[in-house]
Amino acid sequence: MLLREPTRLLGGAVLLLFVTPLLAGLFGTVLPAFGLLPGLAETEGFTQLFNDSRFWPSVKLTLQTGLIATALVFLLTTLCLVCVQRTRIWRWVLASLPPLLAVPHAALAVGLLFLIAPSGWIARLFSPWLTDWDRPPTAWVVPDAEGVSLIIGLVVKEFPFLLLAAIAQLPSLHVDASLAIGRTLGYSPARCWSRLILPQLYSRIRFTLLIILAFNLSVVDMALLLGPGNPPTFAVFLMTLVSDPDSRAAASAGALTLALGVFIVFAGLFLIERLMSFWSQQRRANGHRGAGLKLFRAFGQWVISSVLLFSVFALIMLILWSVAWRWRFPSALPQQWSTAQWLTKSNTLFDPLLLTLCIASATALLAMIAAVIWLELERLQRVPKLNSVWFVPLLVPQVTLLFGWQAIALLLGIDGHWLTVVYSHWVYALPYVILILAIAWREHDPNWHHAANTLGGGYFRVLSKVHMPMLVKPLSQAAAVAVAVSVAQYLPTLLLGAGRYQTLAIELVTSFGGVDRRVIAALALLQSLVPLLAFLAALIVPWLVLKPRAALWQR
Amino acid sequence: MATLRISALTMKLPNGQPLCSDLSFEVSAGEVLALTGPSGSGKSTILAWLTGTLHPAIRTTGKAYLDDQELTHLPTERRRLGLMLQQDYLFPHMTVGQNLLFGLPAGSKSERWKQVCKSLEAAGLNGLENRDPITLSGGQRARVSLLRTLLSNPEALLLDEPFSRLDSDRRSKIREFTWCSAATLPILLVTHDSSDIPSGARTVSLLEQIA
Repeated sequence: MLLREPTRLLGGAVLLLFVTPLLAGLFGTVLPAFGLLPGLAETEGFTQLFNDSRFWPSVKLTLQTGLIATALVFLLTTLCLVCVQRTRIWRWVLASLPPLLAVPHAALAVGLLFLIAPSGWIARLFSPWLTDWDRPPTAWVVPDAEGVSLIIGLVVKEFPFLLLAAIAQLPSLHVDASLAIGRTLGYSPARCWSRLILPQLYSRIRFTLLIILAFNLSVVDMALLLGPGNPPTFAVFLMTLVSDPDSRAAASAGALTLALGVFIVFAGLFLIERLMSFWSQQRRANGHRGAGLKLFRAFGQWVISSVLLFSVFALIMLILWSVAWRWRFPSALPQQWSTAQWLTKSNTLFDPLLLTLCIASATALLAMIAAVIWLELERLQRVPKLNSVWFVPLLVPQVTLLFGWQAIALLLGIDGHWLTVVYSHWVYALPYVILILAIAWREHDPNWHHAANTLGGGYFRVLSKVHMPMLVKPLSQAAAVAVAVSVAQYLPTLLLGAGRYQTLAIELVTSFGGVDRRVIAALALLQSLVPLLAFLAALIVPWLVLKPRAALWQR
Repeated sequence: MATLRISALTMKLPNGQPLCSDLSFEVSAGEVLALTGPSGSGKSTILAWLTGTLHPAIRTTGKAYLDDQELTHLPTERRRLGLMLQQDYLFPHMTVGQNLLFGLPAGSKSERWKQVCKSLEAAGLNGLENRDPITLSGGQRARVSLLRTLLSNPEALLLDEPFSRLDSDRRSKIREFTWCSAATLPILLVTHDSSDIPSGARTVSLLEQIA
């Protein structure tokens, strides 16, 4: 019998496919941590973990880099909204967000290294005419022991993410009207933001902030490229443990400790929120209007422009290095240009590219199918809204879940299979796809369906000919985001692929340091180009589909 | 007692379409001047220009004065113009009392609170100071919004269709309340509904002005 409508059974299958690896990740991490997984870990791992001399230094470094980076991301977002919104720079900020969000962490980290290293472009720009340096200076190193380079990398990458989340909320907060009312009541723009808009905005971007915080405390690929080696960050330290069969239990114990640490930090953030909320409520209506502080606004605009320019120049570095032949310090531009590395290293570059494209396409397709099934069932009121469930993978450190998945995959003998790799990418892409599509799906007027049904259209015909074409824009955006998420996945590919899948992310991180800079730049550039092209396609596809129907294109 | 004066105001949209040309008028204290015209004729844009919140893409020439002080180059917060919009925009994260305190100038906490309670009582809203604005009726919200504006001691009042979202019964009551509460101020009222205009008020039609 043909399926006439999606059934609850399909929804159950989607949910089961999503929840199973989460539970497997939990058990696969908890059991070895306590020595309860025979064949993999037969003694408890906490003692070995806590006795390791790298434990406390790595915890300290992780807290230092993760907390400072998250605080800076939040401050920069606030500064951008207060000082840049409604200025001429604002449209440049908006234009720069999509490409910066699309670039994977590892690729951006490489670009930043080319920019801030002693032999990087910033030092070259001022040498030798201002600094007298005709060799790279030794005053600093990248990566540095304090994790400053890592903090810079995390801030530059995560700031656009939080800013975008905040911008998406501004229309529903009636920002322009609130500013107009507040200012005609005599308050300075900064006071209007701090007393009227930010208290309302914060609760709406809190979730994104938590995702960023969890990420900053547990990131691996960026920490491998920009973080110090001794001690490394805690997540990187755990990676060294997991690759040693004698330390498997300690690695799992560490993964649990990391998850616990992240949740303690979340609790700390909630406490700070309460204190800040109490403090701001006391001051909110005290009548002090504040000064205009034009200087503060100018400073804010300068800071935001600098941060965004920094990111843009990091990307330009990838392009320059990928076509440079001779580029000695202190020249600001290559002395000789060449595309030779693109031709001679085609195996190193294009095999990973092809593999990345295959995995990303499969991930995007499967994530879109699952998201549409779930949202349709939600629209038909056959399944509940499960927002909090979809976001679990984003709030739990990747290391914690993936160590567990890897353990279970090893036991079941499915590690190293390409389906396992795609499955792991799917689990990380689906939350973003659902998040993007849910807004459009839930706002879509059901009367379109009813009208099409009364004209004789069956369920699938209405879905494919009416509903989905009307939502082609969010569908294209969601697919592009799924591709971007998949292209950036380093840890799932490494751990579940058993080292057999040399995607761009894997090739970039593993060959960093040992391979020619120019090839590294080319790899990073390719890794950035795939999601950028996906986002470009997300602009073009709706235009092609809706070209004859201008009204829909405007939506 | 202030006088609000607009002199030779010309406004053009970014595509060059004129919104008004060489517009001049004066509103004295205690007087209501109604700016009328159909939707899109630029009534609200004039108020945005007066308050200094106009989008920079709209080109304008002309000057605005409050008595002899030119407003055009002052930041919004120093123009001393009270503004009420179509929606009341009571801040949802503050109680009714806090919304009113937000309008009041800084000062002694107890004195300010007394003033809030007194103004609520005068408006027939006593006992609502600790209520969440969302629990108020449309008419109550409109009155609280006007009180908040008046408590900031503006020198003139700008009203951008503040009655249009109210039903007809509440509408006439709020209109009366507004004219009485702000009786000593120059009031510039933007509306496309002639029943909102009090008897004896002067009217400037933007449609005629452009024609």
